[in-house]
Amino acid sequence: MKGSTGHFLSVNLSDGSTNSFCPPIDYYSRFIGGAGFAARLFVERGNFETDPLAPDALLIFSLGPFAGLRLSGASRFSAAACSPLTGHWADSSCGGNFAPELKFAGFDGILISGKAEKPSVLVISDHTAKVETYPELWGLGVEKTTAALKHKFGKASKTLVIGPAGENLVKFACIINDGHSAFGRAGLGAVMGSKGLKAIVVRAKDRNFIVEDPIACRKLVSELNSRIKESVTLSVMRENGTAANLEGGVHLGDVPIRNFTSNFWEEMAEALTGSTLSEKYLKRRANCDFCSVACKRIVEITEGPFAIPKGPGPEYETIVSFGSLIGSMDLAATCKAGKMCNDLGMDTISCGATIAWALEAFENGDIGVEECDGLQLKWGDINTIINHLLPTIAEKRGGLGELLAGGSVAAARKTGSKTREYNVHAKGLEAPMHDPRGGGHGLALTYAVSHRGACHVSSPMLFMEMGACYYPEIGFDYELDPLSSENKAESAVLAMALGSLENSACLCQFADREITIPEWVALFNSVAGFNWEIHDMMKAGRRIFYLQRLMNHRYGLRAEDDKISSRLLTPAVDGAPEGIKIEFDKMKTKFYNLMDLDPETGIPSSKTLVDYNLETEADIILKG
Amino acid sequence: MEFWKDETEPIKAFIELFNRAKQDTELYEGLKKVNQLIWFDYTENGPNCSFYVDCRGGEVKVSPGKPDDQPDLTMSLSADDAHRSWSNKLNPVMAITRKKIRIKGSATGLLKLAPKLKKVATIYNVTLKDLGWESKIIS
Repeated sequence: MKGSTGHFLSVNLSDGSTNSFCPPIDYYSRFIGGAGFAARLFVERGNFETDPLAPDALLIFSLGPFAGLRLSGASRFSAAACSPLTGHWADSSCGGNFAPELKFAGFDGILISGKAEKPSVLVISDHTAKVETYPELWGLGVEKTTAALKHKFGKASKTLVIGPAGENLVKFACIINDGHSAFGRAGLGAVMGSKGLKAIVVRAKDRNFIVEDPIACRKLVSELNSRIKESVTLSVMRENGTAANLEGGVHLGDVPIRNFTSNFWEEMAEALTGSTLSEKYLKRRANCDFCSVACKRIVEITEGPFAIPKGPGPEYETIVSFGSLIGSMDLAATCKAGKMCNDLGMDTISCGATIAWALEAFENGDIGVEECDGLQLKWGDINTIINHLLPTIAEKRGGLGELLAGGSVAAARKTGSKTREYNVHAKGLEAPMHDPRGGGHGLALTYAVSHRGACHVSSPMLFMEMGACYYPEIGFDYELDPLSSENKAESAVLAMALGSLENSACLCQFADREITIPEWVALFNSVAGFNWEIHDMMKAGRRIFYLQRLMNHRYGLRAEDDKISSRLLTPAVDGAPEGIKIEFDKMKTKFYNLMDLDPETGIPSSKTLVDYNLETEADIILKG
Repeated sequence: MEFWKDETEPIKAFIELFNRAKQDTELYEGLKKVNQLIWFDYTENGPNCSFYVDCRGGEVKVSPGKPDDQPDLTMSLSADDAHRSWSNKLNPVMAITRKKIRIKGSATGLLKLAPKLKKVATIYNVTLKDLGWESKIIS
């Protein structure tokens, strides 16, 4: 199989053994890589009855066929497992520099099981791997751990590290690559922590990358890199980061404010937007391997209560999670909060959302000073959040730490029914910082039907609704009105297939927008030799979507679980979307019809399973 | 051209639009923040079909034609699509995606103006009416 090594690394931390295995060759063309491949491997080797944090739970890292290709946006990869936050199948994606290095080291991914007796590090180099014990790293933050590993294994080595939150099994703990990029969502850092695995280090001497058609591939990659570099939208992102259009988003009503209770806050828009970050704190731009977009920020704050040394800065989700969502418009504070979350190893989205839930619960008297270990919680009090709440959560300190470390949904369940009204999620995953009421009604649908829960990268729906996609070859040649349900179900059918492709090919959602559908096919063909037509590619995307649904059915999810919190379906009280209702049920019913999903079970019919060559997988999953 | 008799008409309308927008404090301050020399290039509809807005140095100047200085940003599109755009009837993101609008230079300043397009459209419609071109207003 070209574009891939054909080898996965299998690690059993209980006995420290490492082996290489070759997944069946048909997995590559049927499930591509990344999220799709990880799902198929789990079906083959995982156990649906296992607790996500039990020793025999699987944690899978999976590359796409393009990892190692010198193409902007191609250096991402997936991590997947049963999520301790949501209790069902989930994956998360990460940019940075680990994916190409792992490919060069000879592996398409890593499958981890067992639990190490002592805190350990998985060390991978050129086709070999070993588990080494490093108890001295346990308890350290991500920054110190990463520095120690770089000191030990060389600056050129690439790292995946968990922080204290992962060690303490905080349900939204994340995994950080080289101190900057994150597998943020779904709590996979806790899965790693439950295995006693503090870090993974990889170093490769080789830089070989064998593709099916080197001449065609080189020509295509060159064209795409030029286009991506010259793209207007991506140059805006290079200039001002992923928060470049935050100000515009506020005026559309897309940016959540005070736990999604408001859709407009004019003064905040300019205070938090990407150009303000550039003007005030940007020291330089940074990029994932081989990417010319360079949307990452390196910032420094030299004075004031939120001073931080030069280092990784916040992207859009973090700025909003620790800005407007918690009622603050202090940009410096979002930098500091983001840095702390990175070091503690916590997903900034779920962490910010859980804190926003707590602020609202406190304001309404559902929790008081006693439950908050003596703290007064109030909107915009970022000092208390940074100085008390973040370490309290990461260390699961006291009653408040225990309460919030389980995420907002579990916290509401423990606290009482009224506080469930303050939850903003789908399938237990806190919503990202795009409010469908302003960002686009189709987003509500894709949040709901996404296998991992409310996730803005499970599909490109946000981009489709804003007008950033034009795919006439697959029928997406029409304009969408973000504040309407018209054509949203039809678009979501395409969006979910495209999202599955993006998350399995492990391509960046921003850079992807410059790649046409025929070029996507040409990439798969010239790199991996799939010999696809457009319909083959789209079929693979939809196959992966169906597979993930089958898996979640096995975890107990049904059609009724394809929903989002009532807050997101309540018409906005201000801003551009004020008073407009999302016709959620109408969109969902149509989507189900178009996707041939059963209105009760939520899974496709037998005929569709046959059409998408999923009979074997369905047999294993459903009859297991 | 669908909306214009000749290449002079759109430039007359757009320059008048900007001169009126300058009278609005919010828009004037917004334009100053852009701090760029922008050339609106509609020359696909005629060699003289263009104008520029110079927002540099805390002032806003509007003139027909191409600027002598190198523009920080050039927006190339048809005069008809420009009319749709100032009428707030053209999704700028979609227009860029479909190559209806071609941009050279940094578009960061324009992002700051995007939220104000609704207000611009209101002024534009009044401008058209005052110029006796009510029939050109897109409902």
